[in-house]
Amino acid sequence: MSKTIEITVLPNGQTKVETKGFVGAECRHASQFIEKALGQQTDEVLKADFHQSASRQQSVQEEG
Amino acid sequence: MSHIVSIQTEVRDPVAIRSACDRLKLPEPVFGQVKLFSSSATGWAVQLPAWRYPVVADVNTGKLAYDNYNGRWGEQKQLDRFLQGYAVEKAKIEARKKGHSVIEQPLEDGSIKLTVSVGGAA
Repeated sequence: MSKTIEITVLPNGQTKVETKGFVGAECRHASQFIEKALGQQTDEVLKADFHQSASRQQSVQEEG
Repeated sequence: MSHIVSIQTEVRDPVAIRSACDRLKLPEPVFGQVKLFSSSATGWAVQLPAWRYPVVADVNTGKLAYDNYNGRWGEQKQLDRFLQGYAVEKAKIEARKKGHSVIEQPLEDGSIKLTVSVGGAA
């Protein structure tokens, strides 16, 4: 799955940043530069697959 | 794998302010001290369409100073439009600095969606 950061800028200038295709907490790191550059974070939602893929990442690392 | 973050836009980058003005066909921003109705402000002044006084961005604080007399001296939607343009341009600048490609797409509700491809994609 390709890794993308989707940024939706609402008509009032507020922004939502969503990451897709990242493994575990990597997504937070990946989009941090955009979030910091745009302004003040008001809310964060971790999607369900955040935790699932975090454990998957762990098992991959153990194998590798 | 995924998270969603909401951000209140702060105007801190003169380059992105200039890009937003170009994008919206506004006069170039001018740095200096500007008189508003009963006060003054120092920063990057942006003249919005049909606004009596400019909007002044203090890039150190990210805050905007303006006096539109509750909309009578300038429509809020013009300011919103500027903030949207600024956020889009700022996000594109930052993504390109990292070497990522960006695709811009207008949405039906007036939002603008940017898709940043991370790693590998041209």
